[in-house]
Amino acid sequence: MSGRIVAIMLGCALLATTVQAKEHPGKEQILKEGYHGPKTCEECHPGTAKEFLKTVHWKHASKVDNVDNLDPNKEYGMKNRIYTMCNGNDIVNNLKEVPPNALGKTKFVGCNTCHPGDHTIDVGSSGPEAEQSIDCLICHSSKYDYSKRKAVKDKSGRVIMTQDRSTEAAANIGRPGIKNCMICHEGAGGGALIKRGFSMAKNDEVHVTKGIICVDCHQVKNHKFPTGRDPNNWASDGIYMTCVGECHSDKPHKDADYNRHTAKIACQTCHIPRTGGAFSKDFTKWEKQDNGFYEPSTLKREVNQTTPVYAWYNLTVSNTPHFIGPKGSRTDGKSKIYPFKIFQGKAYFNKLDGQLMSMDFAPPIANGDSLAGVASAAKILGIKKYEAVPGWQTIYFASSHQVAPKGKALTCSNCHAINGVLKFEELGYNAREIEKLTNPDLYFEKVLKIQQENE
Amino acid sequence: MYYPLAEVSCQYKNEKESVMRKLVSVVMLVAMMVVSLGSFVRTASAEDVKITGVITKIEIAADQKSAVAVLKVNDSGELVSIIITDDLTLDKFKDHRIVVGDEIRTKFEKNGDKNTSKFFKKTAGC
Repeated sequence: MSGRIVAIMLGCALLATTVQAKEHPGKEQILKEGYHGPKTCEECHPGTAKEFLKTVHWKHASKVDNVDNLDPNKEYGMKNRIYTMCNGNDIVNNLKEVPPNALGKTKFVGCNTCHPGDHTIDVGSSGPEAEQSIDCLICHSSKYDYSKRKAVKDKSGRVIMTQDRSTEAAANIGRPGIKNCMICHEGAGGGALIKRGFSMAKNDEVHVTKGIICVDCHQVKNHKFPTGRDPNNWASDGIYMTCVGECHSDKPHKDADYNRHTAKIACQTCHIPRTGGAFSKDFTKWEKQDNGFYEPSTLKREVNQTTPVYAWYNLTVSNTPHFIGPKGSRTDGKSKIYPFKIFQGKAYFNKLDGQLMSMDFAPPIANGDSLAGVASAAKILGIKKYEAVPGWQTIYFASSHQVAPKGKALTCSNCHAINGVLKFEELGYNAREIEKLTNPDLYFEKVLKIQQENE
Repeated sequence: MYYPLAEVSCQYKNEKESVMRKLVSVVMLVAMMVVSLGSFVRTASAEDVKITGVITKIEIAADQKSAVAVLKVNDSGELVSIIITDDLTLDKFKDHRIVVGDEIRTKFEKNGDKNTSKFFKKTAGC
């Protein structure tokens, strides 16, 4: 009996410790004194606001060292990039009110809508005012009221982004949860799950099923986020991550044959067999919606409907006006086979220099005139001479999220059967090698055993 | 004719089983017809409707597992009540990512007076 009481008491103590650990210290003080923006946070975290201004989340750009045809001394990112998933950027599509449409309606749009400032102090700014404009709570509060974050005009006519700086939001702070991240990251590219097309719902991502959240893998140091090396995600905080680390070893399987594959096959290749989202957009053709506004015509699929394309990738990127994608080969000694979502976007190119042009979305949203959007962007960027001609650009997006449950990962026959997902010829194998790679002797016994276990 | 008792019993049992089997088959057949007819009627009466409109009211059920949103249709000004049951949209109501005044594009199944959402998202921008 006494043993049971001790066990219950220990259980309660453990529970209390857990609950206490989840509650951010300083709650009492916040409840008593209210929340006054970053200066409240800085009372316990001095220097953090200044530190945050140096990160990609604030700057939307960084120097890039693995992509062709970039100036190594300049910074690139959504602040200034031009590509056909997002034909605009923070500069040409700075948050603004679009002109009235035929129904007299207007609205606020801009690529920097997700920037965690208040818009008066914008992307990449610095100094005390910038520090105090940071919206700490949008990432750190589990009780953020998103209706309080919206674009409005202030008394002087400036477009500002309001924030939830309520005491309730501030009293419920902690490590960012999945929702805090996905508020911005799932909405990129013009709608929910359009750009990358992966879902972080419990049913779709095996890590989430097990209670793992974004920042458990993207382990942040001083607000700098480690990331993978997506060929189309150029800006970074300069720290990189792979699956191998404290959770997975470089020989993660019980089966030695599978472990042998890890030298040439990225984890994602077998464990992320599906992707989704937009696979094509046409920025030269905007479709009228029944609210009177226009949107670029977009072809899209649900999160699990697209089979990836597989290619060798040595973590360096080919970047030309019509192609952004992985470099690598089976013989360079650095590449592995990775899965990608291929996206093809149509936009205007400058016939005079062959470069892809950017588009200010405000005119076409209001009246569908895409060339007026190009003209406006050219004016903002100081481009005086151009001849806009439509053309396509192909982009490879890394497929690095939405890890499938073990039972849905690719197995031997998914790749080695004649109709397998890997196109060995395109991957650089000759006919004799392909015959060997697709011989059922390679996989028959193993797959039969798996099949029998599952029956 | 002489039948040993066990044989009579067995014959009686077989006849009974045969009748039971026929009865079960008939019941199954009728059940399948009812289900098929039900599905047909449901398919025939239900239709998918797409509208765009502004939310005028959101009511979340006490058990938090469903909500009713009232939309004022852009074209007609008509008020349409839509039942929402998917977790993601319910979550967006709860944390105010979707609020009264937001413009929504929705597809719902109209079945008599009941409109059940199949797609419910804010109108996108770029």
